[in-house]
Amino acid sequence: MSKLDPLPGLSPYPLQHFYDEMYADERNVRPHYKHVNRMFSGMSPEELQEKQKLMQRRMMEEGITFTLYNPAQDQPMERTIPFDMIPRIIPKGEWERLEAGIVQRITALNLFIHDIYHEQYIVKDGIVPRRMIISNCYFRPEMSGLRVPGGAYITTSGIDLIRHHDGEYYVLEDNLRTPSGFSYLFKGRSLMNQLFPELSFASSIRDVDHSLNRFLSVLRSLSPSRTKDPVIALLTPGEYNSAYYEHAFLAQQMGIHLVEGRDLVAQDHKIYLKMMNGLRRVDVLYRRLDDDFIDPLAFQPSSLLGVAGLMNAYRAGNIAIANAPGTGVADDKAMYVYVPDMIRYYLNEEPILGNVPTYLLSRPQERQYVLDHLSEMVVKETSLSGGYGMLIGSEATKEELIDFRLKILAEPERYIAQPIMSLSRAPVLSEGSMAPRHIDLRAFVLMGADRKPHVIPGGLTRVAMREGSLVVNSSQGGGVKDTWVMA
Amino acid sequence: MLNRNAEALFWIGRYIERAENHARLIDVHYHIQQEEDFQEEGHKWSRLIDTLGVRNEYLRQFESFSEQDVLSFITLDLGNTNSLFSCVHQARNNLRTLRQHLPSELWDIVNGFNLWLGEQSVADIMRGPHQFYQQVKERAAMFLGAEQSVMLRGNEWHFIESGRFLERAENTTRILQTVTVSCKSKDINSIYTQLQAVLKSVSGYQSFRRYYADDMSPECILEFLIVNPLFPRSIRFSFHKLEEHLAKLELDTTEKGSGHEKVIRQAGKIKAELDYMEKDEMSGDLALDVLESLMISCQRLGRTMDGAFFRREGVSV
Repeated sequence: MSKLDPLPGLSPYPLQHFYDEMYADERNVRPHYKHVNRMFSGMSPEELQEKQKLMQRRMMEEGITFTLYNPAQDQPMERTIPFDMIPRIIPKGEWERLEAGIVQRITALNLFIHDIYHEQYIVKDGIVPRRMIISNCYFRPEMSGLRVPGGAYITTSGIDLIRHHDGEYYVLEDNLRTPSGFSYLFKGRSLMNQLFPELSFASSIRDVDHSLNRFLSVLRSLSPSRTKDPVIALLTPGEYNSAYYEHAFLAQQMGIHLVEGRDLVAQDHKIYLKMMNGLRRVDVLYRRLDDDFIDPLAFQPSSLLGVAGLMNAYRAGNIAIANAPGTGVADDKAMYVYVPDMIRYYLNEEPILGNVPTYLLSRPQERQYVLDHLSEMVVKETSLSGGYGMLIGSEATKEELIDFRLKILAEPERYIAQPIMSLSRAPVLSEGSMAPRHIDLRAFVLMGADRKPHVIPGGLTRVAMREGSLVVNSSQGGGVKDTWVMA
Repeated sequence: MLNRNAEALFWIGRYIERAENHARLIDVHYHIQQEEDFQEEGHKWSRLIDTLGVRNEYLRQFESFSEQDVLSFITLDLGNTNSLFSCVHQARNNLRTLRQHLPSELWDIVNGFNLWLGEQSVADIMRGPHQFYQQVKERAAMFLGAEQSVMLRGNEWHFIESGRFLERAENTTRILQTVTVSCKSKDINSIYTQLQAVLKSVSGYQSFRRYYADDMSPECILEFLIVNPLFPRSIRFSFHKLEEHLAKLELDTTEKGSGHEKVIRQAGKIKAELDYMEKDEMSGDLALDVLESLMISCQRLGRTMDGAFFRREGVSV
């Protein structure tokens, strides 16, 4: 039987100029990866493929799937996310710095959102231009002057980070509306424990299960009523939503109600669950719907997913909504540019984590520069996420480049551009042997009424499963890895 | 429990029962031969379509009856909302919204059932139809077994069981209707095969023999399947069970005039009618009337349940 790597320590693929998470150079494994490297190198390709199959099979059986809608097929496809078995490992010191940087960032962003919906000092002081707020499609005038429970707007968030070839982490984007991926993090860890019990015993890894308890107490802390046991519900768009598994998983794990809009009813500015035994008052609503859909009376009148009267109940202080409506004003891809300034402005600190250099195409000089270097840029639509509406200059065809140039010239304020960052690589198992793939990291942050951000240790490592690709989104065929933080 | 959860549970019971009934019917009809089957190409397959009462739906997609098209349509076609796979798929999707309320074994079984059906092709079925439908029955039995042995006897349980027995009553009624109608125009020999097939499809052939020996008259078979108190797939037995489960639901309102009370009363009334039915009501046109009125009762009960449990608006605080 042929072994994966006859000489442990030698990298099985050329590192090129990328930062590799496992290999310091072609002859040396980084110290925190030694144990994992030894174990995977000691397994035969057949054994590894067997485990990989077992893993994917377990995910199908447990129903850990997401739904892909393809207009060409009448039946939506339920797919498992490709889960790679080699964990991504973050050493203790590195994580502590990341954690501090993320906490700093979320603290400033939360202050910013509060400011925007109250005095708007940051606009008056000329740090953020007023038109960036007014023209922002996620800005909710309904939230102006409203006091939210504990002053916590961003109950859940996902900060996407990449590691450049200089070895530094950079923030790629802040997801402050209703980020998803929690279930892959928790479920990935428990599948790994089942499949490789020996691995997790031998390494001291920071526990993630505790963060689920934290999740629940964060939601509880928002309750406007004084009852000891507030009623908490997760509002899902329903079983056809691509992230339905995650909604069911979180509701089950935290023991909260999993509800759809039609299960809720508003009476006297309060929100109730329609139960078999009558109505039950809801204190906290963790909604996995965008603002537009949560209340047809306040926002999209055609939405059937939300509950009419929710915003009135919210304004009356009878229910907490997580995340608060209107947090999107700070996760717009153009607003991202101002986050380092927000940190300096509100906290009087230097940002610990840097941004990826970003060009605002509404600025003529920056626009010209980007148009001259389009094939070296990533261009994104400011209000879209999930890898949609994106151009990667180096991978685009001539036609696509021309097409995007016209789009930018027509509506420059809709786009931002960034130089193509060389995402770090980590080995994945491909047909039984190790192959390098680009990865990023989504770190999850929870914040309750005490406004103290809790970063779940590790987060979700997303993998561009196609060789050379830089797109890690699951909707575009990306996979995930279990992410370890060493204790 | 949310109203919507109760509805989903009720339909899980119905869908699993329906899938099992389909498998039983298809299996038996696949293996019986009629004279016309040899005279007319496709007769056997159109007979199968008629037994399930889906002729119109089938003809919307196909022009002629072939083994491959028919089996695929009634077994694996997710576009046909009444196919065996559709039933299991629906049950699985309902269960998916209820995972926090039910033992995880039930999810494993139904999700496994759904995955397995997704891997089957018509060619697989045609290679061994009996084995295939046998496996469907076994998987349905696994669900029933797990449910019986691990589920708490709370409202969740009673909703699934209500769904199961209402579906069973309705299904037995429908099969008997089809057979009774077609018997009117046929000679005694083909009636005999048909009735035998019905008994076999509900696995009642052996039990029937214990009561009637070789008296295979239509009256006896109808009597057995409609009012036998001990045979678990008879209509009377189903209604006894249905009433029992409905009565055990614990809701806060059971005062007179509530939807819950109305449902129990309706089920009890049908049960009483079946309890006092005479054998001479089982012959000729009278039997047709009895079955017709049973079918109407089943459908009305389904609607009353809908209003009583699943679509209650403005419930008191």
